[in-house]
Amino acid sequence: MMELAPEDAARADFYALLARLWHSGPDAALLGAIAGANEIVAEGGQAGLAEAWRELKAAAAATSAESARAEYEQLLVGAGKAAVTPYASHYLVETGRERVLVALRDDLTELGLKRDQASFEPEDHFAALCEVMRHLIAAGSSDAALQRQKKFFTRYMHHAYNPLTDQVMASTKTSFYGYVARFTKAFCDTEAASLDML
Amino acid sequence: MENSSKKSGRRNFLIAVGAGSGAAIAAVAAKTVPQKEASAAKKDEQGSGYQLSEHVRKYYRTTLV
Repeated sequence: MMELAPEDAARADFYALLARLWHSGPDAALLGAIAGANEIVAEGGQAGLAEAWRELKAAAAATSAESARAEYEQLLVGAGKAAVTPYASHYLVETGRERVLVALRDDLTELGLKRDQASFEPEDHFAALCEVMRHLIAAGSSDAALQRQKKFFTRYMHHAYNPLTDQVMASTKTSFYGYVARFTKAFCDTEAASLDML
Repeated sequence: MENSSKKSGRRNFLIAVGAGSGAAIAAVAAKTVPQKEASAAKKDEQGSGYQLSEHVRKYYRTTLV
């Protein structure tokens, strides 16, 4: 394992959590872990992420695994078209989704990644993109590694996360996942700003 | 030099917003193993009401254009 700076280890954990929550509804153990987790401590006026985390913790404490799972299925897994689609390429272009998927598959191949044969999800599912970021971050904190993360985030996540999380927050079917979306948005805002500094 | 000052700027920013130290998230991330098997195994408990579960979801994926 390459050297991993503490802030990058933390980012990998954030992405692991986001990948899990966007993949499917949380189980009771995960809800309990979120509810019981420590607060995020922010400095100065930069409280967006800390506040979003505090609200997610409160929502996790007040939600059962059954209702969170039902909410996920209603919101993000629909017949034909879900209330909100979790596929990033939907938000990237009006048409030509296939081209984005092809480019993504090429990039993943170059990174040595491939979709699990057992998974029926296309590669641009938001959970899968979070999982790729976690994988890229785990490769170390070298300049080259950070540039790979920046490229991937900019290309596939940056223009998708706002409309995705906005739609989830605006949906009338949402309660727990509204807080998941808010936290996701706050974290991706942080990612966009911090990767932009490189 | 340029690179290292950019990197420290980024690090300071991440720490300021609270994304730089993983104490809060690390324990939670450890619980994030996907629950695919669990959800597939549960589908029998759900009575007669129509429910989307893993096998139905897979079917819809195959019909997506």
